[in-house]
Amino acid sequence: MSRSNPTSSPLTPTDDALIAAIRNGDERALAHLYRLHWPMVSHFVLQNSGTDDDAQDVYQEGVVVFYEKVRDGSLELSCQIKTYLYAVCRRLWLKRLTSKSRFGVRLLDDEEHGPYLNTGAEEDLLAAEEQDRRFDTMSEALNHLGEPCRSLLEGFYLLDKSMQDLTAEFGYTNADNAKNQKYKCLVRLKKLFFTHYKEESI
Amino acid sequence: MMTEADYYALFEAYALGELAGPARANLEARLAADPALALRYADFKEMTSTLRAYSQRQKVRQQLQSLHATMLAAETPEELTSAATPTEPGKLTPSVNPMLRISRTERRLREFWNGHRATMGVAASVAVLAVFCTLLGLEWWRAAKTQPSMYGYTVLKREVERIKKSQKDLTLTLNQFGRAGSTPPVAKESSGTGFALTSEGYLVTSYHVIQGADSVLVEGHDHKRYHAEPVYSDRKHDLAILRITDKTFNGFGRLPYAIKEGQADLGERVYTLGYPREDVVYGEGALSARSGFQGDTAFYQVSIPVNPGNSGGPLLDERGNLIGVVSGRQNDAQSAAFATKSSYLVRLVDSLAAAKPAVPYLLPRYGQLAGTSRPQQLKKLQDYVFVVKVFE
Repeated sequence: MSRSNPTSSPLTPTDDALIAAIRNGDERALAHLYRLHWPMVSHFVLQNSGTDDDAQDVYQEGVVVFYEKVRDGSLELSCQIKTYLYAVCRRLWLKRLTSKSRFGVRLLDDEEHGPYLNTGAEEDLLAAEEQDRRFDTMSEALNHLGEPCRSLLEGFYLLDKSMQDLTAEFGYTNADNAKNQKYKCLVRLKKLFFTHYKEESI
Repeated sequence: MMTEADYYALFEAYALGELAGPARANLEARLAADPALALRYADFKEMTSTLRAYSQRQKVRQQLQSLHATMLAAETPEELTSAATPTEPGKLTPSVNPMLRISRTERRLREFWNGHRATMGVAASVAVLAVFCTLLGLEWWRAAKTQPSMYGYTVLKREVERIKKSQKDLTLTLNQFGRAGSTPPVAKESSGTGFALTSEGYLVTSYHVIQGADSVLVEGHDHKRYHAEPVYSDRKHDLAILRITDKTFNGFGRLPYAIKEGQADLGERVYTLGYPREDVVYGEGALSARSGFQGDTAFYQVSIPVNPGNSGGPLLDERGNLIGVVSGRQNDAQSAAFATKSSYLVRLVDSLAAAKPAVPYLLPRYGQLAGTSRPQQLKKLQDYVFVVKVFE
């Protein structure tokens, strides 16, 4: 499969600058990117019988895929960010539509967004779906974990609290106790997580 | 013996790089040697990385949500005063989005339009098509409907009994079905009015009354019936001359009216007798124009209410002179009847008399009705006015 584009440099300088800024964790760059391409996706979704909320969901999902790839450093763009986002969101919306509708779905495309087929969005989306499934399983496992463990792990991993804070919050006598409790919880989480995750992947 | 939790403590310390040199080397050696331990470590790593990525994902989501909220807030007209522009990294892209500058109502309208554009297009074209079809259809229907009376002119032949009769004939045919013998022909019957032209048995009626006739029967006020035959028809002036063929017929006697050779004057009081129904009916009016339908100078227009069956009736003036033969009426005008001028009748009779027929034409020259009252006139007149029954 060749991803050769007729244009010699598909990435405009601003795209490069934007990606670099996002990779360095510049929130304003992300905000700018978000604002820049929102009308396109919103227009696309609205045109294909979606609502404003649908557009927002799809767009945010697409931006998350893009953002995570950028933060990973694993993004290989062969086209403009705009085209890439369009392809991702298009694919996402198509999936939603087909799951909603019994009939075949045909999308109205804007001509200006060009060859969205060779953007690599498909593979990235497959990876993202796998990641989503993993997160779903994790969230499920956390829910099944039972109260002290769940709050402890969520506090530590999701809310970035220090062990000292958590010790105080949960009333452990010292940080070592809390740590031991955390490890026990991790063991239980591991069992839940891997049984669910492996079951599903079979 | 270490529990799994203990191992996790160890792993975490290792992953964070907090292990001291010897312990670290020890663990690495054990990981390399013991596949079960390596698997356990891999699981631990996957789980913690998933947890961290999950937390990362949730943060990004929240961030995007807030971005979206601020973006929407920036779109609202209250905060349109470009307060956000300084914070925006303008050095990246200077492009301004036109969609950010529209009011909320307009946005709603645009959304609606985008969502239902195709449907509305189809509906609109269907509506336009329907409207045009309806208009065309109506126009066509109206044209088709007015086609038969394109001339606005109705001849006053009476065909009242027709349906009744054909129904009766049908029943008769059905009853006789299968029996030997011929079925009588289904006759179409229509009737008009006629009046005596000469005392020798010539009659005048309208041409359209006897048009297509097989046999003509003349019935007078006293219910005497005579067979008659058409002698001459003038289609253009809607005139027909009949002759009574019965052997027993021996003349009408002296006719009470004279036939006027000249034209009658506008506004003259005129009247007619006719058989629009079974009995003789009198109609009175004035001569309203000296030309007929669409300016036809062979006809008068008279303001007498006439009905089907009046055709061929005599039109007389106050002194009892025959001035015309009732012919038809205009549909879309109030009481506008037409009558052939008597001068055309006289001319026709003259041309026929020139051919020296077996029975000569002796037109009545002097009337006897002048000066008498109208009922008296009618009493004399009605003996000379007949129903002309036509069988086709």
